Amino acid sequence: MDAPRGARRRPEALLLAAFAVLLAAPAVLAADGAPEYRRLFGGDARIAVWVAAQLHLMLGAFVLGVPIFGTILEIVGWRARDPRYDRLARELTGLLSTAFSATAALGALFVFVLIALYPRVVTFLAGVFHGTFVLYALLIIAETATLYLYAGLWDRWGGRWKVAHVALGVLLNVWGTLLMLIATAWTAYMMTPTGLDADRTRFIGTTWQAVANPLWIPLAIHRFVANVSFGGFVVGAYAAVRFLAADRDDDRAHYDWMGYVGNLTGVAGMILLPFAGYYLGREVYSASAVMGNNMMGGAFSWTFIIQAALIGMLFVGANYYLWLGMERIPGAERYRGAVKYLTMALVVAFAVWLTPRNIPLTGEEQQALGGQFHPVLKYFGLMPAKNAAVNLIILSTFLSLLLYRRANRGRPRPFALQGRGGNTLLLAVGVLLAALLAWYGGSVLTLDPRTLDLTEAHARYLLVPGLLLVADILVVALGLALVHLNRPTAAVAVTLGTTAVFSVLVLGVWGFVVMERANPLLRHVAVVQWLLVMVALVWSTTIDGVVYRGAGRLGTIRWGHIPRRAQYALILLCVSSVLLMGLMGYVRSGLREDWHVYSVLRDTSESAWTPTNALMARVVGVIVLVFLGIVAASFWLARLSAGGPRNGPPDPPALGAPRQSQGAPR
Amino acid sequence: MTMRAITGPALFTLLVVGVFVGFGEVVTRISGESDRARRATAASGEVTPDAGEAIFFGRGKCGTCHSVSGRGSAVRGPDQGERGPLGVAIGKRAEARAQERARTTGRPFTATDYLVESLVEPGAYVVDGFKNEMPNPLRPPISLSPDDVRAVILYLQTLGGVADADAIRLPASALAVRSELKDTALLPGGDPGRGRKVFFDESGSAACGKCHRVKDAGGTVGPELTGIAGTRDMGFIVESILSPATVIASGYETVLVETRAGQIVTGIPRGEDPDHLVLVDAQGRPQRVRKADIKRRAPQTTSLMPENFRDILTVGEVADLLAYLATLK
Repeated sequence: MDAPRGARRRPEALLLAAFAVLLAAPAVLAADGAPEYRRLFGGDARIAVWVAAQLHLMLGAFVLGVPIFGTILEIVGWRARDPRYDRLARELTGLLSTAFSATAALGALFVFVLIALYPRVVTFLAGVFHGTFVLYALLIIAETATLYLYAGLWDRWGGRWKVAHVALGVLLNVWGTLLMLIATAWTAYMMTPTGLDADRTRFIGTTWQAVANPLWIPLAIHRFVANVSFGGFVVGAYAAVRFLAADRDDDRAHYDWMGYVGNLTGVAGMILLPFAGYYLGREVYSASAVMGNNMMGGAFSWTFIIQAALIGMLFVGANYYLWLGMERIPGAERYRGAVKYLTMALVVAFAVWLTPRNIPLTGEEQQALGGQFHPVLKYFGLMPAKNAAVNLIILSTFLSLLLYRRANRGRPRPFALQGRGGNTLLLAVGVLLAALLAWYGGSVLTLDPRTLDLTEAHARYLLVPGLLLVADILVVALGLALVHLNRPTAAVAVTLGTTAVFSVLVLGVWGFVVMERANPLLRHVAVVQWLLVMVALVWSTTIDGVVYRGAGRLGTIRWGHIPRRAQYALILLCVSSVLLMGLMGYVRSGLREDWHVYSVLRDTSESAWTPTNALMARVVGVIVLVFLGIVAASFWLARLSAGGPRNGPPDPPALGAPRQSQGAPR
Repeated sequence: MTMRAITGPALFTLLVVGVFVGFGEVVTRISGESDRARRATAASGEVTPDAGEAIFFGRGKCGTCHSVSGRGSAVRGPDQGERGPLGVAIGKRAEARAQERARTTGRPFTATDYLVESLVEPGAYVVDGFKNEMPNPLRPPISLSPDDVRAVILYLQTLGGVADADAIRLPASALAVRSELKDTALLPGGDPGRGRKVFFDESGSAACGKCHRVKDAGGTVGPELTGIAGTRDMGFIVESILSPATVIASGYETVLVETRAGQIVTGIPRGEDPDHLVLVDAQGRPQRVRKADIKRRAPQTTSLMPENFRDILTVGEVADLLAYLATLK
């Protein structure tokens, strides 16, 4: 580790202070006569807790997301014998020391603020979760120790010991994921508490019952994927700033490549996030219909319009960056024509996603419109239209990635030359996907609508999605046949094209019919849409991966030769991603409305009302600026401790012949 | 890294955050949510159609699932306006539903009874094509007060019908589902005269006098209530009526006796001699059981007093009963 001695000690001291606070809190709070709420020097207690909690969460996401990203990079570099990945992974790990300090400091601040201002809430939660506090503290110690070993042993555990170093990186992520799981259990419990007595006033369950509450895993999955994406975008922005500041070609090449990797990671996570989000939303709805309805159709429906705008910026920004990146890739000109169609698809999809169902209108406006709703646009405000739009966005972005990946490649090798491995892989994935489609198709076609308070006759509304799943098995089989006939691009085109028709067009329209006549079945239609898209993504990636293996290159990628505006696209992605995280934190917490612990511990404070979107935007805006300031300071300190701007982490010793011929910095 | 190099990204970041903040302001103006803080506490305690409308689209969260013709966009529950089922608004539609409910249950149902049932027992009747998922608004997380529910029903009555507050008879279960069972402030004011009638009317729903004595009238199965208001607070009395097993008065614990012949006798012990045990059952009849025949004798945690007053009494009857009991000092 290159951090100075002082910087090394700071995290432990802060962490120990935080543990002490955390462990002592229940005893302190057990004292009788504690008030329910306090004000912060006359200021708003809720905003103080909000800011401290969200900043801690963002930094937590950063220090959990970056190691995942870094370890994957290290593994890629190790297996591909490409030292660039190892250098990048090490550079990122160097940032973690300062980021850990900041996370611990803000964690302590958050706990202090919470104990001081909301003693009753902390007493309740400590009563439920006190057992996990000790485990949490021990895990932080384990993670800190592992981080220092991981960073400090980078050089010593190179060469044949690399596997041990990678294992250390994996261990670091295991601790981090366990930490995230524990903290997520607390948060999720506040939304869906379990283990309560009949009056829902007293906790009588076990700690495990409280941990394994209905939203624990859905929220953890969403956070995990989001953390990876978030880490990728933050690294992308770091690379962008360094690129803009670079005065040497090799630096520009390095940071251009780093930005590309960051963006790729961010986009990969982003493609999965809507599905994780849908799963989470569905579980929120299953746990409490009131909370679920309030989320999408109540107080937060407009917040989701802002969310759609942010996600729109993320997807459009990511695609824009990919298209600009094609300028440095010889051969990419073959695909530039497709960009305008992808742009159109994205714009149309986002226009649909952003369309609200209705807005408050004056009498005159209603008269002019012929009612409260626009005769056509009103349909775009409903869930089936949103589902179709999201799936179209994901398919379009995936196609962008696919084209980008193919840009530098020549014609795919004949399938017969790919050997038994490629054939086996393709067959195994194809069979797996077909089995998945058959399983879910079967369960959809045999679903008894009476279990959802519908009549038996309503089963006909699941016939279309069920049959489409069965038809998709044939599409997978057709893809396999086309690959064997050396028509892999046609196979991918058929897969993506039919998925767009099935998932976006047919089920998009069918969703309206189901919503109107058998609303409870709509969630099954949405899952079918999701499954079709996922199958298309996995199948296309597999086919492309197999057939382009060993394909010729059309020249060397000119790293560093990318417009400066592409770097601003990366910064936009990072800022949008952080804003989105802040916004979703507001939604998750706000969904509890006037309950600290939903339906159990009521918020009787003067702040027992949901903040407006205007207030949310102001608070989140400030939080984001502070967070980015802390991250920038972490980067700056990491560079200082590394010995100045020109002395970044050295490249690791060569692990064999480096494969720099295709994408090496100039 | 030069300051100039980071100025551009910093300004760009400020611009993006600024646009986000501006968007939030615009959304708040368009959506009309700027009075959220006021609406969170508005209309509490008022029983008027206007208050009901405010609760319907506010704290009650009804508008999250139900539209009212041109107002709102929710589709999860039936539209309560003329665009809803049967093509008439809920105030009128409730009449047809009430007839259907009367046929199904065999009990008399008015349009208002249907509206009351729809709110306090939403799963009793589910409109075709919709899922049984409406929560009871008296329970957490919505937690409306009985008066809030009355106000909402008044508002629904005005949609195609006429508001009639007197017709709204909330069952006492509207109180019993709330954790604030002892909060008598939730009850409307009662009439002691009507309450005395409810107490002693043996053909009525309560008929408390069959078991409880007040001065020289009533039975002796349960504790005497003469002077009850001087020794117990009203919260305790409400709880004793609606949830009698919560606290059982000393000396009135129920015992279950099983004889060797398999007969089960449940009652309150009221004396014994060397050969017999005497239990008084729920009807006040003494039951003599030979001690030699007793196979098992088990104290019970339930009360002999019926547990179903929350279902058969209305909130108004409970209020009247309390008003009468409050005079017993």
